[in-house]
Parts: sequence; C-alpha cells; structure tokens
Amino acid sequence: MIGEVSSPAKEAVAVERMSVRIVALLLIIAAVSVFMLWSVNPVGGGSETTFALFLAVDLVSVAMVSYVERAVSREGRLSRAPLIAGCCFILFLVVAGVYLFT
Amino acid sequence: MDNTTDGPSSEGEENGRSGITGRVLGWFDSRLGLSHQLLRPAPQYSINPFYWLGALATVAFVIQGVTGGIMMLYYIPSPTQAYATTQYIFQTVSYGTFLETIHLYTAYAMIMLAFMHLMRGYFVSVHKKPREVMWVTGMVMGFVTLGFGFTGYLLPWTIVSKSATDVGIGMMGALPQPVASFLTFLVVGSGSDAGELLRFYDLHVFVLPAVLLVLLVVKMYMLEVHGVSAPTSGDESLTPKKKKLIPIFPDVSFYLVELAALFGSAVILISVIFPLSLPPEYSPALAGQYVAQPDWYFLWIYQILKISALEEAGLAVALTVVTLVFVALVFLPFIDRGKTREINRRFVYTTLGAIFVGEVAVLAVWGYLTPGIAIPNETAALVLGGTALLVTLVSVVAYRVVFGSLGLLTKSGGHRKIPEASTQPSATPRAVPAKSAVLWTSCVFVVLVAAGAFFIGNSVSGVVALRLGSQGAVQSLLLSLGGLTLTVVSTLYFVYRLDLGTGAIKRRVRAFEVGWRE
Repeated sequence: MIGEVSSPAKEAVAVERMSVRIVALLLIIAAVSVFMLWSVNPVGGGSETTFALFLAVDLVSVAMVSYVERAVSREGRLSRAPLIAGCCFILFLVVAGVYLFT
Repeated sequence: MDNTTDGPSSEGEENGRSGITGRVLGWFDSRLGLSHQLLRPAPQYSINPFYWLGALATVAFVIQGVTGGIMMLYYIPSPTQAYATTQYIFQTVSYGTFLETIHLYTAYAMIMLAFMHLMRGYFVSVHKKPREVMWVTGMVMGFVTLGFGFTGYLLPWTIVSKSATDVGIGMMGALPQPVASFLTFLVVGSGSDAGELLRFYDLHVFVLPAVLLVLLVVKMYMLEVHGVSAPTSGDESLTPKKKKLIPIFPDVSFYLVELAALFGSAVILISVIFPLSLPPEYSPALAGQYVAQPDWYFLWIYQILKISALEEAGLAVALTVVTLVFVALVFLPFIDRGKTREINRRFVYTTLGAIFVGEVAVLAVWGYLTPGIAIPNETAALVLGGTALLVTLVSVVAYRVVFGSLGLLTKSGGHRKIPEASTQPSATPRAVPAKSAVLWTSCVFVVLVAAGAFFIGNSVSGVVALRLGSQGAVQSLLLSLGGLTLTVVSTLYFVYRLDLGTGAIKRRVRAFEVGWRE
C-alpha cells in the first residue's frame, strides 16, 4: 500500500495526494501522446506503427487514471502492482514510439 | 438561488468527493445526475473481467462501427470496384492499413469474446430461471455476430474471401428446402456477383448492426431487471464486502473504462505486430487454383464437412448435426432444467461443455493444418472420439481430485437448489465451496485438455500424412508426440501437486521406493 502513515485520516490524505500526483502525471503523458500521434507524418514510413503506439499509450493512461480514481474513491488505497505494470507498459510503448518517430 | 451551493467545492462535498478529480466528477454529476442510480447497482464481486465479457464484445462492436464507418467513405460495393477501393484504403488512405487491421482484429476479438461469454455462461449456469430469455437473446446475438463475420469476409472481394464465401453459400443448398431457398435468396438474390456483393454489404452495414443494437437494448433491459448472476456457490460464501452493492457510476463505469481501454490498447498492439496484407483480387481463373478455406471461426464446421462419410450425400446429415448443436445451445434453459448451479454438482453438463470446447478447438486447428484434405472416416472417429474420451477422463479425474466426487447426486438423492437472486442468502447448507484455488485448478485442467487434444489430433494427422508419404510428416509427428509427452508429464505433475495436501499419491510413490510401513 502506498502512503504508510500512522493514523487512518492521515493515510487517507496521503493516498489522496499521491493519487492526484499520479493522475496529473498520467494526464500529462496522455496529452503528450495525443500531441505526438497527431504530429506523425501520415505518409512517412512506419507512421502507422508510431500512431498506433501513441494511441495505445493514451488508452493505457486513461485506464490507469480510471483505476486510480476508482481505487481511491472506493477502497481508499492504491495497490502497487497495477501501477507498476501500467507504468512499465507505458514506458515500453513510449520508447518504441519515440524510437520509430525519430 | 443561493450561489454558495453551486460552487465546485460544495459539489464535491455533496458527492462525498474531494480533490481535483472529485470536484470535476461532482460538477458533471450535479449537472447530469450520473449518480442518481438510473441503473441498478452491481455487487462488488462483479468487478471481475469474466462478468464483463459481453460488455467487451460490445466495445469491439463499437470500434468496428467507427472503423467501418470511416472505411465506408471509400469503399464501393461493386465487383469491379470493391477490390480497387479496398486496395486504395490499404495503400493511399492515411493509416488505412491500421484501420483495416483494427476492423478485422476487433471482429475476431468480438467473436472470441462472444464465444467465451457463451461458454462462461454455460459453465456457471446463467441460463437457469429467471434468465432463460436472456440466454436465448444472447444466443441470437451470437448468431448475428457470426453473420457479421460471414458477410464482412466477402467485401474486400479477394480470392480468399470470395472462394470461402462460395463454399458457405454452397453449403446452404444442402439445408432443407424452404430454409435453403430463403437463405440463398437472402444472400445471393438473382445469383449475379453484383447482387451478391450488394446484399452482403447491406446485411453487413445496415441490417445486422440494426438487429444487434435492438437485441443489445433488449438484453440490457433484462440485465437491469435480473441483475448480474450470483456466483454458483451462492452468496453465503462471500464476505460482506464482496456482496456490497456499488453504483454503476462511477465505480462500475470506471472499471469498464479500464477494461475497454486495456482491450483497445491490446488490439492496437496486436495490429502493430501483425499488420494485415491484402490477398490477390478474385477472378474465376484464380479461383480454380485456390483451396477454399473459411475464416477460423467457421473452420470447425468446415472440418466436419470434410469427413468422408459426410461429403456430398452426407452433407445434409452433417449440417443437421451442426444445426442440432446450435439448437440445443439456444434451448439449453429448457433442456437443462435441474435447479443446481454449482459446478461440482453438474458433472454431466460441465463435461459435455468441455467436450464441445475441446472438439471445436481440435477441429479448428486440424482444419487449419489440413486445408482442402478430406478426412478418412476412421481418422475422424479416432480424433473426435479420442478428444471426447480424453476430455471425459480429465473431467472425471478433475472432479475426483478437486471436488472429491462426481457430485451427481446429493445425500438426499436429488439435486440441491441454489438461490437465484444475487443478494438473497441461502437457507440450505453448502457441501463443497468452490474457492479461487478450485477455479484456478479447473482453468489449468482446461488448458491441459486443450493442449492434449491439440497434440493428439496433430499426432494422428501426422501418422496419416506419414502413411500418405507426405514431406515433412516425420518432423511434424515428432513435434506432436513431444508436445503430447510434455502435456502428459505436466498433467501427472499437476495431479501429483494437487494431491500433496492429502498425501495419497505421495504415500503410494513412497511405497514403491521403500515398501509399505503404515
């Protein structure tokens, strides 16, 4: 569990703050990926793959934002495993997308 | 109006939310009334992908609608222009190949998800009272989904699609006369290529989507009336937290957004890794050189029709058998009238379902590996019979090991009734609770059965090919036998591991080593 603090109230505040940071980061990633996918030259070689990878980044970001909101509002806690898996997946997609983009 | 109550912070507080996302949701909620429980709340245990396979199939349908709508801007349903316009989408339209690939792969995903939804529903007995009509509606939706596949396959007008569709249309002629005439008129019309393509196009982009949308609304209405089905073991095995009802918005909606987004990204990734390529255009001259083969979801039926005894004169018999299987599935709620829903007490139906899945998988893979090759009767009997026998044996072993008995009868001599409603506690005692370990065990067994059936089918196919003197048959046979050995060893190891809790097998193994001392 993220945000190990003494009292439940403090823990809830810490989780809330953590979730806001994560959601903000994910929204930035989603916005950048949308910008990148619309910046791809559609007639260039490999453009379809780049477009698809950034679109996938966008979708995974949306899925993670949804997960964070659901987990925090319903259960008041965040599990590490889905976040780490999602971040690794996004990182892989971004690296592959940037590699193809450049 | 008091303006202080309209501020974003107070909306967030009214909705029990704080922070930026809470305030944003609160703003929308206060305007649109999203949390006013327009839809029936769902229990917490339904936050599980297996409960939402139908929803994912619907997401696939929506993606196909969007991608298909874009392709309709370029596509012309005429035999002289269908291929050229498809080629134009592939080669000239921006991201055209991506569009085509996504459209096809979501269609495949939709069919696969619909099949998984069907079989999951079958194994957990969602067809029981009061969801009989819901089951029949779902089955009709499944047929419409297959209809999408059948009609959409012809549209690119490639050698592959036209040849396969001709085989399908030819099979319709073997059906009983009024049905055959009606279906042939429906999809072919006067018999010209232009008429056929136009009818397939109309069915694909107008008739079938409209029918599916109506059925979707009907099924959603029934879901709203009955709610999601309770676990087969009843509600009493669940913790209060699992039984707690949660609103459709935002909890279930957000969960569905997660599933849909992950599903979309998975399809996109697969499309990137395996992009589609357009086969050559159809021409009567090329058609003679090409072995017609339907798409994978019809391969199992096609493989049945390739059995020697069922060719030509036996075609009507084969189609009748396949039709009876579908009819039995449609009317399952009125055939399987037992009241119990627990898997551990439904050995016969569970085994029959597993045999169906095993046979479909074996026939599809076998059909893919042997395009255009007729199946000798004895080989067909061996493979199909062997698969059924293997599945039954594994089912018996699984029931004995996992549940302790085949659970055909209760102590009182009859099936025990399980409550239908999702929120009502059971008044009757429970025998063997189905835990997650049991589900995992069952899943592993299903995988092992599928692998075993596949390798048995492939081995038999290899032996036949070897007898016919086919090139490369030895290598294929060795690979299949190796795979079969691996599957058998895995099964034995798995059964051994399962038994470590009771130690019966371990004691027997030890007895071989040191002799009985107990």
